[in-house]
Amino acid sequence: MSAPRVVGGRSPVVAYALMAPALVLVLGVLAYPIAWEAWISLTNFSSRAEGGPVFVGLANYRNMVREAIFWRGVGITVAYFAITTIAKLGLGVAMALLLAKPSRGRALVFLAVFLPWAYPGGVTVIAWYWMLNPPLITSYSVLAGNLKYAVDGWLGGGAYAFASVVLFNIWRGGSFTAIFLLAGLNAIPTELFEFAELETRSPWQRFCRVTLPLLKPYMALAVFLSFTTAFADLANVWMLTGGRIIFPVLGTYAYWLGIRSGQFAEAAAYSLSLVPLLVAALVVLFRWFDPRPEEAA
Amino acid sequence: MTRRRRRWRHGLLLTLAAIYSVFPIYFITVQSLKTAQEDVFGSPWYVARPSFENYTELFEGGEARVRGYVIVPRVPFLQWVGNSLSVLLLTLGLTLVAGVLAAYALGRLQPPGWWWWRRVLFATYVIPHTILFIPIYQVVIALGLDNEHLALVLIYSTMALPFCVWILSAFYRHLPREIEDSALIEGATPATAFVRIMLPMSRNVLVAAGLFTIGTVGNDFMLASIFLLDPEKQTVAAGLGVMDVSLAELLAVAGVNLAAIPVALVCAAFARDYVRGLTAAMVEGA
Repeated sequence: MSAPRVVGGRSPVVAYALMAPALVLVLGVLAYPIAWEAWISLTNFSSRAEGGPVFVGLANYRNMVREAIFWRGVGITVAYFAITTIAKLGLGVAMALLLAKPSRGRALVFLAVFLPWAYPGGVTVIAWYWMLNPPLITSYSVLAGNLKYAVDGWLGGGAYAFASVVLFNIWRGGSFTAIFLLAGLNAIPTELFEFAELETRSPWQRFCRVTLPLLKPYMALAVFLSFTTAFADLANVWMLTGGRIIFPVLGTYAYWLGIRSGQFAEAAAYSLSLVPLLVAALVVLFRWFDPRPEEAA
Repeated sequence: MTRRRRRWRHGLLLTLAAIYSVFPIYFITVQSLKTAQEDVFGSPWYVARPSFENYTELFEGGEARVRGYVIVPRVPFLQWVGNSLSVLLLTLGLTLVAGVLAAYALGRLQPPGWWWWRRVLFATYVIPHTILFIPIYQVVIALGLDNEHLALVLIYSTMALPFCVWILSAFYRHLPREIEDSALIEGATPATAFVRIMLPMSRNVLVAAGLFTIGTVGNDFMLASIFLLDPEKQTVAAGLGVMDVSLAELLAVAGVNLAAIPVALVCAAFARDYVRGLTAAMVEGA
């Protein structure tokens, strides 16, 4: 192995020492919980079982795969992720392009677009809850109620709740994506866009052939950053449905199993069920936004 | 003519984007300023006779009271604000210090395997902490941090660090090496070269990392209400988060709103630097 390029002749020991606080913090807080979760998913641990956890092999997973609600949960989770991600990317790209163009009032709009993400989620989630499910007899309760019944009647029970969680996620996450992609647009050399202006015929063609490909790594990064919310947007699902599990996003359902029913082992199995999918997605995304440099140190 | 029309369309779209972004916050603020009477009979879009009852209620402190038919729980709001502030500042400090050190190592010193360390650290971002909270609670208890702010500080830091290390290390990696080398030739130690030259250069990236941390902390109320049970120790999010989803909710809105305004102002003040910082980290690829 060639000697690493070192500034001032320091050895890798210094580098590892500098990395230590962050690694100890992140892995220290997470390693045990993840291991615990994996181990518990292989036992019969629950609040009802006598004594300590007993190893039962893959029984929890086997039972889980036989449950209809699991597959419904997988479907909903994937749908939730797909819908919110596409919407957030679409909105994000649109707003980023809008804000990238110099114009009057842009600074103000920029701040407005920044707000949904910057404003603490605790209050905005209640705001959406009040808008969509007014909890009291307010002046618009009847209107919102009718809307809810219309949507649920049209698309089936729980559709309205699903839509409200989706909308909130898009609203908050879309803001982050927009600002993030705006930064990405700024990072692309302007000459490329000037060339594109000359080389392409229509704005649409320019967008498809130049802007989108250039934004791709940043979009991949934005998708990566919205992963957690899709898998376990617990707090929001919780708030927006008033703590009821109308449609099971896997993470929320796992939480429900663990906390409400004390079925910790099953809950752990549900929590871990998406790991293969997550890993696969990570591999693809990392390839897009973090290609390995030819001359890694 | 067409140019003029295009400008109009652009302005219209900008206005729409602004309304869409701000509307929910406007809406809930309007509701929180209403009296019960106006809530029922007024218009949902605006408030005719604003009442600050929900807001002043927060500062009454003391014992639970009855207001109308509602029992208003005891809310040591000022204490919660203080708690939130200390959690936020400690998280910021810990995240930025640990983040900068790791980012310098990963971006500049690049020890063997740095590529994978960087990815592993970043990949932990997708782990949902809310799902892991039972074993995390065990860790917290084992560390004796039960009901302590430090527990939240540690957890929030682990949530914000992956992203912060990612953008900071991307920035240090792309910073021309000559800048640091010239300082070293002048006889500076690597540490002084870093603190005096590289750190100031990364100011905007630090702002971006800091705002991201603030956003992470500000978004959570689940973990806060799980880990802080003692009312004296709770943050605003924890305290108001455990209140019933009921009539008292507007009080919660008022509370979070009050706490949110300074946060939003800080974010607004640094919004530009935030974008510049992200851009600086993204030049030459993410």
